[in-house]
Order: sequence, then structure tokens, then C-alpha cells
Amino acid sequence: MSLAVHPLLAAGGGPVIPTFGRASNCVVQNHQFCASWVSDNWSAVFQPALVQHIVLTLIAVGVGMVISFVAAIFAYRHTWFETPFSMTAAFLYTIPSLALFELLVQVTGINRFTVEVGLVSYTLLILFRNTLTGLRGVPAATIEAARAMGLTERQTLLRIELPLAAPAIMAGLRIATVTTISLATVAAYIGGGGLGALIFNAIQSGFKTEFVAAGALAIILAMVADLLLVLVQRALTPWARRRLAPS
Amino acid sequence: MVKRYPGRDRAAVQELTFEVPPGEICVLIGPSGCGKTTALKMVNRLISISDGDITIDGQSVRQLELTQLRRRIGYVFQQIGLFPHMSVESNIGSVPRLLGWSKTRIRERASELLELVGLDPEGDLKRYPGEFSGGQQQRIGVARAMAADPPIMLMDEPFGAIDPIARDRLQNDFLRLHQQVRKTVIFVTHDIDEAVKMGDRIAVMRDGRLEQLATADDLLASPANEFVASFVGEDRGLKRLRVRTLHDIELEPADNGRPAPDGAVEIDTSLHYAFSRMLAEGVSRIPVKDGDGQPRGFATVEAITALIAPHREAPSAAAPAPTTHES
Repeated sequence: MSLAVHPLLAAGGGPVIPTFGRASNCVVQNHQFCASWVSDNWSAVFQPALVQHIVLTLIAVGVGMVISFVAAIFAYRHTWFETPFSMTAAFLYTIPSLALFELLVQVTGINRFTVEVGLVSYTLLILFRNTLTGLRGVPAATIEAARAMGLTERQTLLRIELPLAAPAIMAGLRIATVTTISLATVAAYIGGGGLGALIFNAIQSGFKTEFVAAGALAIILAMVADLLLVLVQRALTPWARRRLAPS
Repeated sequence: MVKRYPGRDRAAVQELTFEVPPGEICVLIGPSGCGKTTALKMVNRLISISDGDITIDGQSVRQLELTQLRRRIGYVFQQIGLFPHMSVESNIGSVPRLLGWSKTRIRERASELLELVGLDPEGDLKRYPGEFSGGQQQRIGVARAMAADPPIMLMDEPFGAIDPIARDRLQNDFLRLHQQVRKTVIFVTHDIDEAVKMGDRIAVMRDGRLEQLATADDLLASPANEFVASFVGEDRGLKRLRVRTLHDIELEPADNGRPAPDGAVEIDTSLHYAFSRMLAEGVSRIPVKDGDGQPRGFATVEAITALIAPHREAPSAAAPAPTTHES
């Protein structure tokens, strides 16, 4: 056999079985999904990957939000800034993720920093656009009232404009978060770790249970994150749902 | 004061000078683009003053710090501009909060004001503006403008976007409120009927200039020029009936010793109301009583006509016979 064998497969001894020895029948026969293997390996394999994935996402969305937020407020005050920033963000957004990661590796190497740079760059467009749209959507009359009452520009921004832009900002945050959770699996390609690492692993080994479990976890994580953000949004904007019943 | 915009030949407001005595409602009125709103917004410097000055109690608004100036001037405008994300209480408390009032004091003030503008302090304080009708929202807008008890209020077509019935009630309620609090009010409108109703004095503007400044009655009785005459309308005689009461006319003496008959109108009633009663009942005189129900005499069509058109010979109300004309 001159065929190059993947180290993992070689280590496993068999064609697809990652843990030789006391493996269950389900694992040995590589069924579609073996729940017992997942629960046996939860703390050793899945939990660390999940935590890693969450951290990756939090950092990416957090950094992306800070950059976009500052940029959007600047663009809100200085209109000229909108076009260059959104064009740059849109350009980054159009680069295929694998290509972007590959390109970044040339510059910053295979590490966590490179992964985050990539993920952050994908959040910018949506977060910037939504924040700016939210700010611009504040009714002119509301701002005039604030000025006429003697609120300073800063007070108007903090007390009036940003709270009223919150629904749009939160909507952007939801999309950015879900997108990042999904994209972060690709980041495993350049050593990002997280659930993506398990998926890559499973693709290479052909072990279906690991593949299905890691994929499902990524989906569940995205859904849970979205749900949490909806709850945060509702808590932040109780006024948005209290309207005069149409007569 | 003068307002010029760059690139325009004509100033938006040209050497406009007038004075509003404390506690009065002064109405600025004129066709669209006459500069009335511009003039109003120069008082709290939402629009900057190009030339001239505006003084409040002798103090120039140009010298006051902008935020300080604005916190002392209540502002109510057509678009209302309530803060949709704040409860009614927080909306009303906006300026007091800036002034550093305590929470308890703000709550008490908000309750008091809600009651004053005819809303329910119990249930409405915690609700959001979106839960109220336009008329109610503007009541909250008025309450918010008065929150820190500013001596001056600027009102820019405050009831312009409100349906006629609610508008009438808001006008009446505001007038009653004004009787109590006696703010100095500058009130912009393009509706002559509203001006006549609300204004102690009315300033008619055209093309950034003041055409006439007078009480409603004087304005309607003797318009300064053609423009003012046409602006106040052909029916200005009828409109005057709204601003004068039965106090202002000569009453025919009452029937001695008899109580005021049923259907007598009170002496505080407007001539407009008394006259429409006569028309509706097909009579030329109507009994008048005072606030205690005591008879005061009879109002007649002749007496009303004599007041509205004193320079003309009062026509006999009871269908003048041709013979009297010729004699």
C-alpha cells in the first residue's frame, strides 16, 4: 500500500474508527450518530470546542461592534465618512472566507489573531450599516425637541439617539453573531479551533458521529445566541412593543 | 431682529420688532414662508440671529449660554417630538432631570402637570407616548414644556396636526391653563380663527415683515392695509363676534322684577353664541342673565350691529320697511 494514510486514520488502526478498543458497536460500524460516544466524550472533546467557539465569536463580534459603532457615530456626524468605510467593509465582506483566511495567514501567520482579524472583518459591514441606519432613523422632531430642551449634543446622542437606534443595532448584532458562529467553523482551517476543528477532523476521518454532533452544536449555538439577543433586545426596548392599539 | 440665509436676496425675517408683555399670548400669523416660525425659533436660538437681538427681561438671548437659555423656555411644536422610548413621566421630567431635580420631585411635578393638562396621573405616568392619541400626545408635549416652570413658552402650530374636535378642546384647555399659570407665550399659527381665539395680541407677518400688531378685536375691526384685511377674511365682522361678549353691547333694560326667563344666555357669553341663538330661534332679541341667574336685560341684533359696525347706520333688524329707507 503506497497510498498516503492520514495520521489520524493510521493511529486509529482501522479505516474510520478513532478510538480503538472499547468502542461500541455503533462506533465501530460508524453509524450516522452514536449518542453514547458524544456523551462519553462530551467533557473531553465537545465542551472545550464549544467554549472555544463561543470565545472566538464573542471576541469577533465584540471587536467588530466597537469598530463599527465608533465608525457609524463618526459617519452619522460626518457624512463623507460613510462611503469609504462601507465600501471597505463591503469589499472585505465579498472575499470568500477560505480565501480571506489563506490570505491573512501570509501576513499574520497561523494563529488566533489571524482568525479574529478574519471574523471581525466579516462583521463590519452589517454592524456599521445597521448602526448608521438606526441613528438616521431617529425622527427629526425628536431631535429638535431634545435640542430645544437644552440637551447638549452628547446628551442627545446618549439619551435619545442611541436608545432609539437600539432596535436596528440589535438586529445587526443578531445577524453578525449568527454569521460569525457559522464562519468560525471555517476558521478551524487556519487553526482557529472551536467546533470547526471537530468538523474538519470528522471530514478527514470520516467519523460520522463527530461530524453530526459538531455541526448540530454549531447550529444550536447560533440559535441560542440569536434567542438570547432577542431577549436582550426586548429588555432594552420595552417601548417598541407598547403601541396604541389601532382603532 | 433679522434673519438672513446665505444665497438669498431677501432676508427671511426683516427688521422684525415687537414686544410681548409678561403673561400674554402673542400670536404670530401669516401665510407660509412669511418668517413666523423662523422668528419663533430665533427666540430659543434653534435658528441663529443674523442681526439685531432678542431680550428676555432685558437680558439678551445671544449672551446666555445656549443650554441654559433653552431650559428656561418651553417649546411645543406641531410634530410634538415626544421621546418614544421614555415613559410619560421621563418625558415630562426631561428638563427637570437636566436641572438636577430629585426623582420624587420630578414624579410629583409630572403628576401635577398631567392632571393640569387633563390626563390621568395615576395610570398614564408609566405608559409610553406610542400608547396615546395625537391629541393626548400634544397634551403631554405641553406638560413637558412646562415641567421646569419656564416663564416663556414658544408654541409652533402646536395644535395644527390634531383633528378639529380635539383641537378645539386643546385650545380651550390651554386657555384655561394659561389663566392659571400666566406664562408669556409666543404662538405661531396660520389659522386666523385660532389666532383670534388664542391671542391677546396678534402679529400679522408677510415676507418677513410685520404688517400689523394689534389685539384680535382691533385687527378685525380695523385692518391696517389690504393684505391684513384679506388675510383676516371677508367675514371679519363675524369673527369679531367671537372675541366680544355680551358685556360689550348696550342691553335693553330687563322687565322689572321678573326673574330671567328660561333660555336666557349668560352675560359672559360671546356675541357669536348669542347671535347664533337668535338666528336659530328666529328672534331679534334674547334675554341675558348674569352669573347668579339675575336678569340683566335683552341683547338685540341692533346692539350687536352697532358694536361691530359703529360707523354705519345700524339697519333695523326687524325687516326694515322700504318706507323707512326713503324717509
